[in-house]
Amino acid sequence: MIAIPYLTALTTHFSYGLLFVFGHVRDFFRKLMFFTNDNLQGYAPICLGAEDFYIRRLYLRIQDCFGRPIASAPDVWFDVVERYSNDNNKTLKRTGNISRCLNLGSYNYLGFGGADEYCTPRAIESLKRFSPSTCSSRVDGGTTLLHNELEECVARFVRKPAAIVFGMGYVTNSAILPVLIGKGGLIVSDSLNHNSAINGARGSGAIIRVFQHNSPDHLEEVLREQIAEGQPRTHRPWKKILVIVEGIYSMEGDFCKLPDIIAICKKYKAYIYLDEAHSIGAVGKTGRGVCELLGVDTADVDIMMGTFSKSFGSCGGYIAGSKELIQYLKYTCPAHLYATSISPPAAQQIISSIKVILGENGSNRGVEKLSQIRENSNFFRSELIKMGFEVLGDSDSPIMPIMLYNPAKIPAFSRECLKKNVAVVMVAFPATPLLLARARMCISASHTKEDLIKALEVISQVGDLVGIKYLLGEADKQQQERMKLE
Amino acid sequence: MANLYVKAVPPADLNRNTEWFMYPGVWTTYILILFFSWLLVLSIFGCSPGMAWTVVNLAHFLVTYHFFHWKKGTPFADDQGIYNGLTWWEQIDNGKQLTRNRKFLTVVPVVLYLIASHTTDYQHPMLFLNTLAVLVLVIAKFPNMHKVRIFGINADKMRCLDDPLFLLSISVKLGVTVLFIGFKTQDFPEISRGWG
Repeated sequence: MIAIPYLTALTTHFSYGLLFVFGHVRDFFRKLMFFTNDNLQGYAPICLGAEDFYIRRLYLRIQDCFGRPIASAPDVWFDVVERYSNDNNKTLKRTGNISRCLNLGSYNYLGFGGADEYCTPRAIESLKRFSPSTCSSRVDGGTTLLHNELEECVARFVRKPAAIVFGMGYVTNSAILPVLIGKGGLIVSDSLNHNSAINGARGSGAIIRVFQHNSPDHLEEVLREQIAEGQPRTHRPWKKILVIVEGIYSMEGDFCKLPDIIAICKKYKAYIYLDEAHSIGAVGKTGRGVCELLGVDTADVDIMMGTFSKSFGSCGGYIAGSKELIQYLKYTCPAHLYATSISPPAAQQIISSIKVILGENGSNRGVEKLSQIRENSNFFRSELIKMGFEVLGDSDSPIMPIMLYNPAKIPAFSRECLKKNVAVVMVAFPATPLLLARARMCISASHTKEDLIKALEVISQVGDLVGIKYLLGEADKQQQERMKLE
Repeated sequence: MANLYVKAVPPADLNRNTEWFMYPGVWTTYILILFFSWLLVLSIFGCSPGMAWTVVNLAHFLVTYHFFHWKKGTPFADDQGIYNGLTWWEQIDNGKQLTRNRKFLTVVPVVLYLIASHTTDYQHPMLFLNTLAVLVLVIAKFPNMHKVRIFGINADKMRCLDDPLFLLSISVKLGVTVLFIGFKTQDFPEISRGWG
């Protein structure tokens, strides 16, 4: 539920209309001036119709806010390479200069993004022992001791009987879903699921239905309607129903309403697939993800998926489930049979970071990190709300998107923050709905109080400049009410 | 005015090309754009209010016909081309007919026509042009016209307007239709008198 000031909605619609019109006018002149074809007569065009209109006319104008190269590890402070453009952002050239910026964009939730005293020596040792790549798929010669240890470690961490690990998180979703469900099945997915899950769902051949974001009532309505109607045209009963939800939604920062959704899935005998890409390791008392946070027994969730690139400082993804499920996946999943297995130093990094989180390395750094990220997130969020920004997401969630809405504010906010050495990530269409452009901050356990206060100062100044303190009146009102009560 | 907030619930529409239309403020923006463009035309050309409304009506006809009923597909490649055969009008509301949005978009050209013809005192040739505009727009928005391509114009064929034979066939069809209408109106002297 996002509250947009009405005037902002009108101006945002108008701005996009204007950008659209300008884009079309430019396209029209481009067609006039450059109608001479080169020798590609008879070939089909690479882009059908106006498929690349958004990229050419809207995205390329503010291209310098996206894809900034960095020159160091994605720690709390990192080096951003400066770029310049001579042709209005169509091409960008790197200068040799770097600027040291505060990192509010990396998914570095527990601070494993930089060098760690426990993990890094062990990763280097495994690099020397096992070499950077296994050069083989899991079934041929790519299963090392590390891979077996990693799968046991992950299964123990997530509290499931068994787990299987892949080299890439995106591939985990897009290669597993076609194996789990096929034609004749039904996938009910949250409307804001990540592109990897949508890709996997489309590739599976099952019928896809969408329910309103985080709304168990609408999920129940959709399930009832679909079960009653059966498969399209034949009306036969569905072979399998799979409900896909995420632990933390990366664009909204809110948690899934897991207990209600699991109750509904049990009632209608649907399987549930929980994508914990952002929540594993970052939330929960011992870092075990959204199940621990919301008090859900992991035996109730049929398939738990997660990635290692966020809280564990590595790469790759895993699926955890019952022993039979994992055994089946090892026989059928193409990412296991044909794709190169996860790189050994990456695997060692995950094992070491899990040991640190659980405290098995003999220190309590894991517990400190978990409490630090919770404190940091809650402090940052409450300060932003006090300043009058419209921040989405639940408390305890380390992701906080700040609503911008107007397309012009996206590059303005990004460039102004970069000038003041704070690096933030902008999210625009098509990752979010057209009107709801936002700046997304990811808080890390390694952020110190001074870092957060500096970030807040910069964001407040830039926010005043750009004009995004939409809820300033509300924040003041709440302050006054609180003062009246005291 | 600044304190007026509206709640925006993200709708469960997967088509990113059309879901922006379900957010609050779209209708008001549309109407405000029409009104301000009327003021713009008045200030630039210095014509009578009626002529300005006619100009706005015709420009509105050209723009909305091109973007709603001519251009097909979506301006981005993320959806892998599943809507490549559908115009924007056919894509909105997931293809469901007679929704509130569609009814609103059908009423707007009619209201514009009424304003334009009233302020020009129903004179020719403005009346003819305005009527043509509203007829084409309203007919294009009928539920029965969903996915209909008259004479194969704008259909999904592999041929495009660069193909001379195809171009010839369309122009012959269009020419025949225009001549037919032209001859039929000669039977009604009142209309043909208005041409002078």
